[in-house]
Amino acid sequence: MYRPEPDRDSRQWWERLAGGEFAVQECDACATVRFPPRAFCPACRTEAWRWRAVEPEGTVESWIVNHQPFMPGFQVPYVVVMVRPATVPGCLVYGGWRGERPPEPGERVRAVRIRVDEELSLVDWIPAETSERADIHPFDRKSSH
Amino acid sequence: MTNVAKRLLEFRDRTAIAGVGYTPFTRNSGVSTLTLACRAVLAALEDAGLTPDDVDGLATHRVGDSAPPTLVGPALGLADLSWHLDQFGGGSVSHAVVGQAALAVAAGMAETVVCYRAINARSEFRMGGTGRGVPASPEVQYQAPYGFFAPPQQYAMYARAHMLKYGTKAEHFGQLAVTQRANAAKNPRALMRTPITLEDYLASRWIAEPFRLLDCCLETDGACAVVVTTRERARDLRRPPVSISAAAWGGGTSHLSGAAADPTVTAAAALAPRLYAQAGLGPGDIDVAELYDCFTYSVIVQLEDYGFCAKGEGGPYVASGATSPAGELPVNTHGGFLSEGYVHGMNHIAEAVSQLRGEAGDRQARGAEVALSTAQPGYILPATSALILRRA
Ligand SMILES: [Zn+2]
Repeated sequence: MYRPEPDRDSRQWWERLAGGEFAVQECDACATVRFPPRAFCPACRTEAWRWRAVEPEGTVESWIVNHQPFMPGFQVPYVVVMVRPATVPGCLVYGGWRGERPPEPGERVRAVRIRVDEELSLVDWIPAETSERADIHPFDRKSSH
Repeated sequence: MTNVAKRLLEFRDRTAIAGVGYTPFTRNSGVSTLTLACRAVLAALEDAGLTPDDVDGLATHRVGDSAPPTLVGPALGLADLSWHLDQFGGGSVSHAVVGQAALAVAAGMAETVVCYRAINARSEFRMGGTGRGVPASPEVQYQAPYGFFAPPQQYAMYARAHMLKYGTKAEHFGQLAVTQRANAAKNPRALMRTPITLEDYLASRWIAEPFRLLDCCLETDGACAVVVTTRERARDLRRPPVSISAAAWGGGTSHLSGAAADPTVTAAAALAPRLYAQAGLGPGDIDVAELYDCFTYSVIVQLEDYGFCAKGEGGPYVASGATSPAGELPVNTHGGFLSEGYVHGMNHIAEAVSQLRGEAGDRQARGAEVALSTAQPGYILPATSALILRRA
């Protein structure tokens, strides 16, 4: 697998994820939410912001079924989904697919937390209606406000 | 009209491409990218009837995979370049390199600039991503942990979004692959010259669904170069000059994790109006188009975003035969990156020049006076670039 290398803009985001929180930045001045983490609000170009924990849900915009072994450590074939988060609709995020069937266009999905170790969690996606499964872990839904 | 726009019009047809040069396209060149670059630069100068002593500018783009002008200049004994450009970037900046050379020539910073791209994209730095580390970019951390980082994967994701939204079909992609292979069969330079059928396309193995092997461009070792000078000077040189009517870059749309309203629209949609305005032309004036075909889908989306058909109609437009050699807009007459070889954009420009000179032999498009040549339409970097060229 590929272990992400957080940078000075993203370190806190990864730390929050590892703690079970799915967060985006919210601009102090204009309340625009943004992802991925960046110092400046692209809407009003100011720097002050806070983390906002959000419901990790969205809709499936597209997906691939990967067959070529581009990266060692991944069993092919595997599915990667492109999701439009409900809370940051101007943005697209990518993740693995944990559904027991293929994704459907436009379907509602929610994030599941893949705990790699103490310091690292990743975000995969499942159909929103998936009931509790032993192998998947939701994100905390409490707000950090 | 703003002063900026007026000044831009003075740029129209001020400069020209006076020569093109290639190395052979192979899967293993056996030489360095520096050697490939020198060979292509010398070949382009020979084509133009110039010598290295005439060169006062060099330009390239690269992603840490090739020889920069500061190596190529000394290697060719060029002691004092008055202008050079070492542009970071992949396919999306390929045409900006020639555009910037044209600006330098128009401004008098240099008189004869050779633009080149030299890559060992199969034997050394595999462009498709197989066996290569992930690129250094802040964006990678949000994608690579999911096994998602290679260009065929990224483009496959956007291709499916287009299929879902507009009903674009695998057969549309397949028809492009088949037509481009037929074009390559008429091109002695092409790596892949054995004709294929739609059945061959559909039977080719999956790379990243919805892409099959035959949706993907070749990984190629090779180099290509073009000589940019003033139109006046080009007229006195060996070959029929091809003027640069417009050069534009930008567009600003990326489909990485950040803001992206619609993954079926590329940076070309924003750039195209500026490009056409600069040339004083529209899509209907383009006689032949060399459209960046890293993957079949990129051609379909550019047909839309450069205005040759309505949004979403790229697939049916291809199915109508419009982009075949006998159609209203012959596309990728050399076979493109899918079948000629992949030199990251420069070989599209060189093919457009061949077409406008009327020297493309069996694959010559009829009445080719104006050509569009385009760069990677901006899915990966938030920018694209393009040239409109015309027979001077
Ligand atoms: Zn703001």
